[in-house]
Amino acid sequence: MGHTPELRVLLFAALRERAGWRERQLAATRGATPTTVWGQLGLEPADPAATIRVAINQRFARWDSPLAGGDELAFLPPISGG
Amino acid sequence: MAAPLLTIELDPGPFQPLGALEGWQSLVCSRLGGLPAAESSFVGRVRPHTSAGQPLAALELEHYPGMTETQLQRLAAAAASPPEVAAVLVRHRIGRVLPGDPIVLVAVAADRRGPAQRCCQELLEALKHEAPFWKREWLADGSGHWLGGNTPL
Repeated sequence: MGHTPELRVLLFAALRERAGWRERQLAATRGATPTTVWGQLGLEPADPAATIRVAINQRFARWDSPLAGGDELAFLPPISGG
Repeated sequence: MAAPLLTIELDPGPFQPLGALEGWQSLVCSRLGGLPAAESSFVGRVRPHTSAGQPLAALELEHYPGMTETQLQRLAAAAASPPEVAAVLVRHRIGRVLPGDPIVLVAVAADRRGPAQRCCQELLEALKHEAPFWKREWLADGSGHWLGGNTPL
């Protein structure tokens, strides 16, 4: 279509229920990182890095990792497997 | 040295650990031409109480389809990197799990007991902290509570 592909943002578990949505498409702005997207979406807490982890394209990533159009960005609340 | 045989499955319904082990042993036997000398396994079951000590109606397991499977593969491959490790099995429940039901099964076949037991423990700890699963405790009154972490080792 000639448009920059959008970012796909996913929330899970408690985070999803607190925000009231599971998935959003977002325009990929220049210089976007998980930190800027978190702020742009108005998600809480304001300082998430202590408790929330991020995954880009289904791999753990850093909060300051660069994002590109077409990326799948997921915010992951504390994990409890096994 | 051949790469270790990794078998990873997410189970949307109940599984029987002993039956699962038998099936895996048959697979290992046919793929490797026999069973290695040492085997270590761990079965985790759902506690009958919540983390706050109330009676538990059920535990809900949410996962990240795609990433959870991929991450389990990565963790299993990393834990199975010692050359003595021949095969690894991971079975993990998703969905609604009842008290007493198996939630996780990890098994490792290796040439010696040390690598078998170490790999089994390392992989279990790794998947508890590094595989995207989330637990919600459901009470009999229909209320639910997401857990913020794991029980201590």
